[in-house]
Formats: sequence, C-alpha cells, structure tokens
Amino acid sequence: MATNKKTELAIAGCMLAVGIGYLLMTTQLPHHSGIDATFVPYLLSALLCMLGALHMLAAVKMPQAVQAASTPDEAAGEPLDAKAVVKTLALIVAYIALLKTVGFPIMTTIYLYLQFIVLTPVNQKVNHLVYVLIALITSAVVYTLFREAFDLMLPSGLFGF
Amino acid sequence: MLDLLQQGFGAVFSIHIMLLMVIGVAVGIVFGAVPGLSATMAVALCLPLTFTMGPHAGLSLLVSLFIGATSGGLISAILLKIPGTPSSIATVFDGGPMMEKGEGVKALGVGIVFSFLGTIFSIIALMFLAPQLAKFALRFGPQEYFSIAVFSLTLIATLSAGSMVKGLFAGALGFAVSTVGIAPVEAIRRFTFDFAELNGGFAMLTVMIGMFAVAEIIKVAERGRRPVEAKAEPVSMKNIKGFGFSMREFREQVPNATRSGLIGLGVGILPGIGAGTSNLLAYIISKKRAKDPDSYGKGNMGGVVASETANNAGIGGAMLPLMTLGIPGDTVTAILLGGFLIHGIQPGPLLFITQGPLVYTIFAALLVSTVLMLFMEFYGLRIFIKLLEIPKHILLPIILVLCVVGAFGLSSRLFDVWSILVFGVLGYAFVKAGIPPAPFIIGFILGPMAETNLRRGLMMSDGNFGTFLTNPISATFLGLALAFVIWQLVSAIRPKKSMINEIIRT
Repeated sequence: MATNKKTELAIAGCMLAVGIGYLLMTTQLPHHSGIDATFVPYLLSALLCMLGALHMLAAVKMPQAVQAASTPDEAAGEPLDAKAVVKTLALIVAYIALLKTVGFPIMTTIYLYLQFIVLTPVNQKVNHLVYVLIALITSAVVYTLFREAFDLMLPSGLFGF
Repeated sequence: MLDLLQQGFGAVFSIHIMLLMVIGVAVGIVFGAVPGLSATMAVALCLPLTFTMGPHAGLSLLVSLFIGATSGGLISAILLKIPGTPSSIATVFDGGPMMEKGEGVKALGVGIVFSFLGTIFSIIALMFLAPQLAKFALRFGPQEYFSIAVFSLTLIATLSAGSMVKGLFAGALGFAVSTVGIAPVEAIRRFTFDFAELNGGFAMLTVMIGMFAVAEIIKVAERGRRPVEAKAEPVSMKNIKGFGFSMREFREQVPNATRSGLIGLGVGILPGIGAGTSNLLAYIISKKRAKDPDSYGKGNMGGVVASETANNAGIGGAMLPLMTLGIPGDTVTAILLGGFLIHGIQPGPLLFITQGPLVYTIFAALLVSTVLMLFMEFYGLRIFIKLLEIPKHILLPIILVLCVVGAFGLSSRLFDVWSILVFGVLGYAFVKAGIPPAPFIIGFILGPMAETNLRRGLMMSDGNFGTFLTNPISATFLGLALAFVIWQLVSAIRPKKSMINEIIRT
C-alpha cells in the first residue's frame, strides 16, 4: 500500500528489528551439537534478517519522488482517523481487562454502547437510546445463548448468576 | 463408495443437521455479501459453536458456512460494485455494468446458478480424486511431508499480492510465531518467557480471529467514519422466470463455464492460492477466448460466469489437500483444519480409512449446502439485500464481542482473548505496511508440520540430509520449490509483461 520512500524505510527497519530480535532470543535457547530445537529458529532468524535487509536495500534505492500511487485513502484526500483507532484499542483493552471482575453481561453492554459511539460516521447522529437497547439485547442474547445452548460459562462477574 | 455416500446423506438429512446447515448457508451468504466480512471470519467465529456438537454436525455447519460465504460475495459485487470478498473481484467487472443496464436480476441469477454449478463440479471432482490421492499419500513419510510443506510455503509466499519480499517475510514470521511453545521431538520450551500459557504455543484460532476479524474492526475505526456509504439499488423480482436468463443463454456459456471450472479447481488445489486468484485468471482467459472480447467490462454475461464458476470451483479444490494431506489450501480451509482437530480428527490419508463415514458425511454436507445455497440465495435475495444496509458501526462491535466469546471458549482463559488483541494489532500493522496476512497464516500452520517432519526424517536417517533428496517424491517437491523461487526471482529482476504474473501480483 505505502509506496512512500520514508514509510518503506521504516517498514524495512521494523522487519530487520523483528529478525534481529528473534535471532537474539534464539541465542538464549539451550543448545547441543547437531540438529536440535534451535536449528529451525536460527534458519528463520537468518531468513527474516535477510528479507529485512533486502527490503531496506530496495527502499534505499527507491527514487524519492514515487508518491503518485500512495494509499487510496490519502489519494482521495480523506484523512485517516487516528483518534478513533486509539479509542477503539483503548476500549478493547479495557473490555478484556475488566471482563473477569465485572463480568461479561455488564462489560459487554458498556463496551458495545461506547464502541457504537466511537464508530458512528461523522454525518450521523448518535442515538443513545437505540445504542443502549442494541447493546443490552446483544449482551443478554449472547450470554444466555452461549451459557444455555453451548455450555460455555462466560465470566459472570458482579452478577454472580 | 455409494454405500458410504448413502450413509453420509442419511446423517446430513437429520432435522438437527439440516437446520444447522440452513442457518450456516444463510449466515455464510451474509458474511460473503457484506464488504469487510469474509468467509474466513464466518468460519472462525462459528467454530466455537461447534465445540459441543458432534463432528458430523459441527463439520456440516462449517462447510455450509464456507459455501455460503464463497458465493455470497457476488451479491455486493453486483449490487454495490464492491466485491464482498477477494474471490469476487472479477464479478464486479461485468456484474456492475449489467446492473447499470437494468439487468441486475439476470446478473445475480447467472452468478448464483454458475456458483452452484462450479461448486457441484468441484465437489464431484473432490469425491473422485480425494480417495485416490489418499491411497497414494498413505505411503508418505516425514521426508515427503516436509518437502510438500516447504513447497506450499514457497508457493504462497511468492504468489501473494504485493511485494515478494514482504510475502516471504510474512510467511517466515508466521513460521517463527509457530515456534513458540514446546519444541517437537525434543520437548524443550522455546520463547515462552516462563508463561505456562505459552507452553502449548498460540492457538490457531486466536491467530486467525485476531488477524482477520479484530484487525478488520481496527481498520473500520480508521476509515469507517467517513460519511459515504454505498447503497444497494433495489431489484425487482417481478416477472422473473426461473433464474432470470434463458436456456439459450445458458447453453452459450457452457464452454466458458467448463474452462473456468477447471481453472478454479486447479488453482484451488495448489496450496496457498485460491479463489482470490482463480476468478481473475478465469476472467482474463474467458475474455481472450470470447468472440466479442470488447464487450467484456461493459456488461457481458460471460464475465460473471467465468468469475463465479472459477471462485466456487475452488471450494472442492481447496478441500482436496486439506482432507488427503492435512494441508490447508487457503485461510478458510486453515480454520476448517482447526475444526477437524478440535473434534479430535486428524485430516490426512488415514482419515479415509479410519473415518470413512465422516468423510462421506462431509461430501454429502457439501453437496446439500450447495443446493441450499442455490435456492436460498436467489429467492431470499431481498432479505440479504436488506442485511447489506446494517450499519457497520453497529455490526463490527458485535462481531468483536463474538470474537472475544470465541477466543474465551477455546479453553476458558483470558490469555486467549489477549492473544486475539495482540494478533489484531499485528494484522492491522500488516495492512498499514502492505504485508499480506495470508502467508503469515499458512507459515504459522505449515511451519510446525515442516519442522516436525524434518526432525523426524533426520532421526530416522541418523541426521543424514541425503534422504530428503534421494526420496523421489520428496526430491520432486523440493526441486519444484527451488525452481519456483528461482523463476520468481528471475521474473522479479527482469519484469516481463506476463498477464498471469501481473494479475497475481495485483
């Protein structure tokens, strides 16, 4: 997607870092002579590092001006919504972290309600009542369905039933 | 074979399983039709539902989802001009213009009927080829399995969309992630950082749900808030006879459909590449062979026929290596592999001997789902069109909740739920960096197979690599893998205007 030289250099850097990180972790593994459990990890480390380096080389050689074919979103002049991404991630983290203590029914309702608001398109109004209703019904249906029909004990938390 | 097939149909025609399959096909069509949802997601999310079912019911549900979702992509391809899944990209080329000309119902009818024919053709081919291949594969030892895994890995990594280096990197990284946990043969712990949860490595389902479903939700957070939303045009079903096209039109398309079906089946069998490639390939060849190639792209029925026959013929193709060798042909069959394993069934040549009735139940389920798909998709079209209007900002959070439930259901621990988030973020990073996720998944699944068989093979030969090269089948596959990499390298250095190459790369 990204054809920008700087982006590609950054991607190549990440690829190389992953390869080196994996190599360093591999060196920590217990080792004995001959083919052992470190053989494949070493092979993969070498491959990951080599591919990272190859991509770095290609990115360095890339002409600076290749920017015409950037991502379709940028080409269409639509700004990407980084704030919504961060909010979504924060919501998911909070949801999982509190799932056990607060319980599935309550956390799911709260998560759904807030996530609906975060993802509502800019030209649409937030309809609190509808969102709360959908969140409540979904949470109740999923909880009961999995508990009763599929024998999956989702964390009940504060509810305790 | 007929006895077993009869038994299979007997099992499928119970009320319980039929009901599950009707639901499966309907849910599958919805997942295929809504852009952003995919067949992979449908099967991954419903897999946890099958935990408490028997293998016959569970696998029947999963294959009905697979069939519904593969075909459902044509609805949005024709009505919204957005392919619901990568396997219906070429359907947009002519399906969209047909819709503009007011031939929407005809395009949908043609698409659905030829989806049906493509699927049936590939399942029949599967039923005849699979037992033969399984018989042959019974003789395979670690050497052969290692080489086939290596060949499959190189195939997917080099053929995936985008740059070859990134594809190979993704495959290698998937392989690297699969090395977390207790090592094969030697049983030492690798990269577990003293977390007991990591001893068994990452569960396949958490990786898939993360990479394909959670990543998709993060993507929508980034782009989905923009105001433009495509709206499906209403189609009138009044005065429609049969499926909206005449017998003569049907007969004219038979050669095109046969060719496209063979392409779809062949590409589907190759591990790693599937319907996403075959629909474009079939479209191009159909256009080249047509009497009126200029009308392609302007609403020629042949374009829809080629694309839809080919992508659905990939179903039987992808099931072939899965059932006979335990090698998934694409990401959907990768989850199906997980479905088999959860029910304690190891796909491979022995499956046909130890689980004959189950194998034929799957064949029967595939055939029945295909028939269900034909009627439900055409006559329930209006309901599916309505479902296309469900706003994404409502749908995707609910899907995330289902992802959490699915991951938790694996072994009732929050560790797996955190894993889907980690792989979701990784999948999102892949999208941002232009790295294809499919090779990662295949690397993750085939990696352990390659490593385990390498170690076993070396143990059997006292550490002598030579046996991998003296074994004829193993040597052939290793040679093919090497030749393939060299061919790809040469064509990368000297770019030629090969049409097939270009399509695969885009």
